[in-house]
Parts: sequence; structure tokens; C-alpha cells
Amino acid sequence: MKIDRRLFLTILSAPLYPAIPLVMLTAGEARVVEALCAQIIPADDWPGAKEAGVLYYIETQLAGPLERFVDNYKNGIPRLMSACREQTGKLFTDLDPAQQKQFLQTVEAGPDTELNRFWQVVIDHTMQGFYGSPKHGGNKDETSWRMLAIADVMEGHNH
Amino acid sequence: MTLPTVDVVVVGAGAAGGIVAEQLSLAGLHTVLLERGDKFGFSQTGHDELRSQRITVLGNAFGPDDKHYVRLAQTSDGHFVRVRPSEGAYGNNAACVGGGTMSYGAMAWRYTEKDFRMRSTYGAPEASTLEDWPISYDDLEPFYSKAEWEIGVSGTMGANPFEARRQKPYPMPALPLNTEASALFKAAQGLGWHPFPIPMAINSVTYQKRSGCIQCPHCVGFACEVNAKNSTAVTAIPRALATAHCELRTNCITSRIVTNDAGKATGVEYFQGDHALTQPCRAVVVSCSATESARLLLNSATKLFPHGLGNNNDWVGRNLQGHAYAGAYGIVEKDLFDGLGPAARVACCDFSHGLPGGLKGGAMLSNEFIRLPYLFSRNAIPPGTPKWGLEHKQHMRHSYKRTVSVMGPVQEMPVFESRVEIAPEVKDAWGIPTLRISGHRHAADLEVARFISARAEEWLKACGAIKTWPVLPGRGVSGGQHQAGTCRMGTDPQTSVVDRYCRIHDMDNLYVVDGSVHVTNGGFNPSLTIQAIAYWASAKITGDLRGRSAPVLPLPA
Repeated sequence: MKIDRRLFLTILSAPLYPAIPLVMLTAGEARVVEALCAQIIPADDWPGAKEAGVLYYIETQLAGPLERFVDNYKNGIPRLMSACREQTGKLFTDLDPAQQKQFLQTVEAGPDTELNRFWQVVIDHTMQGFYGSPKHGGNKDETSWRMLAIADVMEGHNH
Repeated sequence: MTLPTVDVVVVGAGAAGGIVAEQLSLAGLHTVLLERGDKFGFSQTGHDELRSQRITVLGNAFGPDDKHYVRLAQTSDGHFVRVRPSEGAYGNNAACVGGGTMSYGAMAWRYTEKDFRMRSTYGAPEASTLEDWPISYDDLEPFYSKAEWEIGVSGTMGANPFEARRQKPYPMPALPLNTEASALFKAAQGLGWHPFPIPMAINSVTYQKRSGCIQCPHCVGFACEVNAKNSTAVTAIPRALATAHCELRTNCITSRIVTNDAGKATGVEYFQGDHALTQPCRAVVVSCSATESARLLLNSATKLFPHGLGNNNDWVGRNLQGHAYAGAYGIVEKDLFDGLGPAARVACCDFSHGLPGGLKGGAMLSNEFIRLPYLFSRNAIPPGTPKWGLEHKQHMRHSYKRTVSVMGPVQEMPVFESRVEIAPEVKDAWGIPTLRISGHRHAADLEVARFISARAEEWLKACGAIKTWPVLPGRGVSGGQHQAGTCRMGTDPQTSVVDRYCRIHDMDNLYVVDGSVHVTNGGFNPSLTIQAIAYWASAKITGDLRGRSAPVLPLPA
């Protein structure tokens, strides 16, 4: 795994993710993860994974039950950034959403199975955060349950 | 430390162990019931999809926990990797008082006559150890009835024309059908099939002073918030404790069955916190589920039994099986979701046996429990629809209430190489060698699965599905919640582990009572059969210890 120095510094010097205190992820890593979350479940008429706080779910659970995935994130994020720069000449976080989507589609079809494995992990964790119980940090205000029109069914059973 | 001698130690307070402890203590035998897990109520386990028995991505509310337990599982290329309980390959069944019955879906099926006579019905398929049970449906029928009345099962007698002869009705009427089940019921009738309400170990009315079902959407995977689900934790075990002859000890990890030079079990060794304890007794009953029961026998090797207890002929741990689930999803044009649990309410047994083309075995087909949103987002997405992105999100919104699933537990042909072994180099938190799981499903299972899946799609189309897609099992070995077969019951000690009353062949006071003894596992969820056998074996164990036949039910000849 090779990361060039400039890219490494870019990750380190990225602006601090403003809303939550970060423990497991650096601010730079958090920006990337949040961008991935927004690709996995984008906002439309309803909030997406970013707005529902899925980053907070991932950040919180990596310090708990999802601890065994920490290395996936620590290795996967720079791997993704490198691959993106190689392919597009730009930082992933500098691409517009349509370009990000296109790049991620190439990750799924591409030969880098380790990178794809990381991407699949983020997809899974994002679905957990968005559709699981708000008490774990994501699904803010029961966004997904309201979107599916099942909040009434789930409420009172969300102990 | 060695404790004072008791009559019986039962290891494992689950579906079977809870019943054995109840029956022995009702007969006045001093019984110690050891459980590795804790005693949970709904208030501890809650309704958290990500920490349920079904979805364990953040751990399993019902145990075991990732910190203390580890196993090895075989990858597709034959290597073994460490797996923790929250990972699928672990093959987890709950670890708590009540075992899997705290959080199961509670379908309460009787196997049919043919399910006990698979070899006679289908011959001997190559590469399978398919065999008849040494007991028949008729032997077990009174004990099925006892299980239905003691545990509490709701259902409609006579509604399933393929059901085997039964002498008594169910103690409670069937639960109501929800919107989806009603639509599927009509569709099956339209196909000329024979739909009926699934018998459930869930109260439809107040029974044994516990409430009827409140039809919440959180059923399978969760404890019931009103205790309408009839786990042994709220039925048999409290009755055992009420006799004052049974002592339940939780958080006790059994490491070994102690045997003497004469080959008799004399007690068990276990850990409680930091304490290593020995509990002497006159008889031991192992009820830890198919994987863990085999592990305990294998970990109890001595000079006299160098390959483990009951394992002189290398059959302990063999024939691990579960079910090869097959079925389909379908999307219908209007919402069928009404949020009313337990949702899995309608079944057909038209394809349990007698399939065309020489197919061996079959499956009951039924609709599914409510799919909570995360599981749906991963598993209920049709081929061609992206697994992420705007299309995925919009699909969720459009189809969550219109997606119907019909599935069946395809009966597996037992495979000798599908097995549980000790992995001596890997130990759990107490230093006890853990187990490893290896093997594969029989090719015949996949043929049956394809047939069952095609029937599922047919059923969904008849119900108005505009799009359907199949769900098919792979070749990987089964070992999860329906785990069975590792201590086969039989008359020949060369080719089985226990006799027809669940006693280890070459030992006179050691019994295995759980799904381990199943010769074959039926095309149904196995819990009621496990429990019927627990009543059957308890009658014999009581007689053995009392020196007379059992007081509860007469033993058939």
C-alpha cells in the first residue's frame, strides 16, 4: 500500500468535521466516510445518510462492536483516495457527486478486490446506521422509518 | 471445589434442557440446571434490530458474546478462520436461559411419518448417511401432544391435510392472519394447494396465566414483551424451579463431563466466574445444542474413552445439518404490509414429500416474519436494482410494503463429512478448546431447493406479484439455529451415538437430549420435535434413576 506524501498531508490537514467529536476517525477520514455515506444513501425528497448522521453511527460503533473493522477504514480510506487520484487526477472529496458515483461504480467493477471489500463494508455499515435504531447514532429522528411510513409500527418498540 | 452430590445435572437451559429439568424435578429428583448464559427478560434485550438473534451486526442480545467465545469455520477454499458469535459463519444459537426459544419465531411443527423414515422412503443416496429414526412418529405422537399442551401451541386441528394423525387438538385457536397472509392464503387455494395457519408456540389467548399475542412487528429474533411467546424461560423452567427440586445456575460454563474407570459419568466440571467447580451427580444430561453438545462430549475424553464420550466409532460431531432454506421474493402492486406480527402465518405442506423427478425430501413453504428495515435493505433487493445509491433508496421507499417472501426449510440429506471437531489449539475465554465446523451440503438438497423455490415464485405470482426472484441456498454446511444431527439416535452402536431414549450407547448414565440426536431434521423448524423428544427421554431418564417406569407418561413398548 503506497500513499504519496501530498495526499497523506491533504488527509491530515482537511478541515475538522464540525458536528461531532471524533475519536476513531481523523477529521480527514471522517470527510471521506461522510462523502461515501452520501453516495450510498443520497438525499432526495427525504434526508440521506449524511443528514441522518450515519457518520456518527460508524464513528461510535467503531469504538464498540464494530471494532474489528477499524483496520478496514484505516487502510481502506487511503487506498480509495490513491485509487481515485490515479484514476481521475483528483481527490475523491473534490469530485462532484456524479463523478464520485462514477468512480465508485468502477471500484465495484474493478480489479482491486481489497478496495472493493472496503467499499462493501462501508455500504453495509451505512445501511445499518440509516435503517437501524436511532439509539446507535444514525437514523436521526427516525428518518428512514418515517420515509418507509413505519415509524408508527416501530415506535414504542424501539427500546 | 467439589459440591455435594445431586441426582442429575442438566447442561444447557434451552428448548430441551429446560423441559428435562422440569420433568426430572417434578419427579422429585434433585436437579441442577447449568446455563452458560444469563437470564434475560424483555427489558434487557429490547427491540433492537441490529442486536437481535437474527441480525447480530452489533452483537447478539441473547449471547454468546464476542469477547469470550470463538470458533473456527471453514472457508470455501478449505482453510479455517477464527469467527466470533456475531459473524454468520459461527453458527450461533442463543446462550441464555430459554436458549433459542427466547428469541425464536416459534413455529411449532410436528414432523410427519415419512420424516422419521427417510431411508425407507427415499433409499440411500450416494454420499449421504440417510437413515430411518429408531423411533416412529407414532412413538412420539403423545409427546408432541404433551409439548403442545405444556408449552402452549396455537393452531387449527385438521387444517393441514398433510399433517400426521393427531389425537388431541391444539390447546389454543390459531393466531389471526394479517393482510399479507390472507392474500397468500387465497392465492394458494387458487393454485389448488392446501394453505393453513401455521401452528405457533405463541399464545393466541391467555394461556397458563400469560397474555395472548399483541401482534407487534418484532417477533422472530426478539424476546416477547408480553411473554406470549412460549420459551422454556417462561414455561418449563419456572415450573421446574417451583418444585424446589431444581436449582438453576446461570453464567456457568461447563468444561468437562467427569467419568470414572468403570465408564460411568460421576459429575461435571464447570466455571462460574473465576471459580472452577465440580458438581458430582448420578446422571448427566447434555442439552447444549448440536454443535456444543458434540464439543462437550469430545472435550471429555479419558483413557477409557480416548476419542471422547460416546465416540468409540467416530460418530460424535458427524452429520451436522440444519435446513437449506429456499424460496422467493415477489413485489406486488399494492401494499400488503400492515405491520401486524408475527406475520409468518400461512403455510402449505403440499411439497413436504412426494416431489416429482425422484427428488428426495422437500419443505414446508410459508410466508416470512416481518423483515425489519436493515435486513430488508440488504436481502430483499431484486437482481438488477443497485445495492446503493438513489435507486436503492427509492426502491426501499416504493417496495418495502409491497415485497412478499415465501420460504421453506428444505430437509437436508445427512453428510458424514459435515461435522463438528475440537480445534485444540484455539480456546475460549475459560481455556476450553473450542470447535471447528467443516463440510458441505449434499447436492440433492440443492435440487430440492430449486423445486421449492420455483413453487414459491408460482405462489407469489398467483398472489399478484409483478416481479419475482428466487432465493437459493449454497453448498455451505448448515450449523445455525436449526443445528442438528451430531449425536445420532440409533439401534446400532457402530453407526449412532445414543439409543432410542437418548442414552449414550456404551454408558449407562449419560444422555444427550437436544437436536443432536435427530437422525434427519424434517422439512420443518425443529423446536417442537426437540421438545417432544425431551419429554420422551425424560420419562426414560426418570425411570432409570427411580428404578421404575416414569410417572409422567407410559413408555411405549
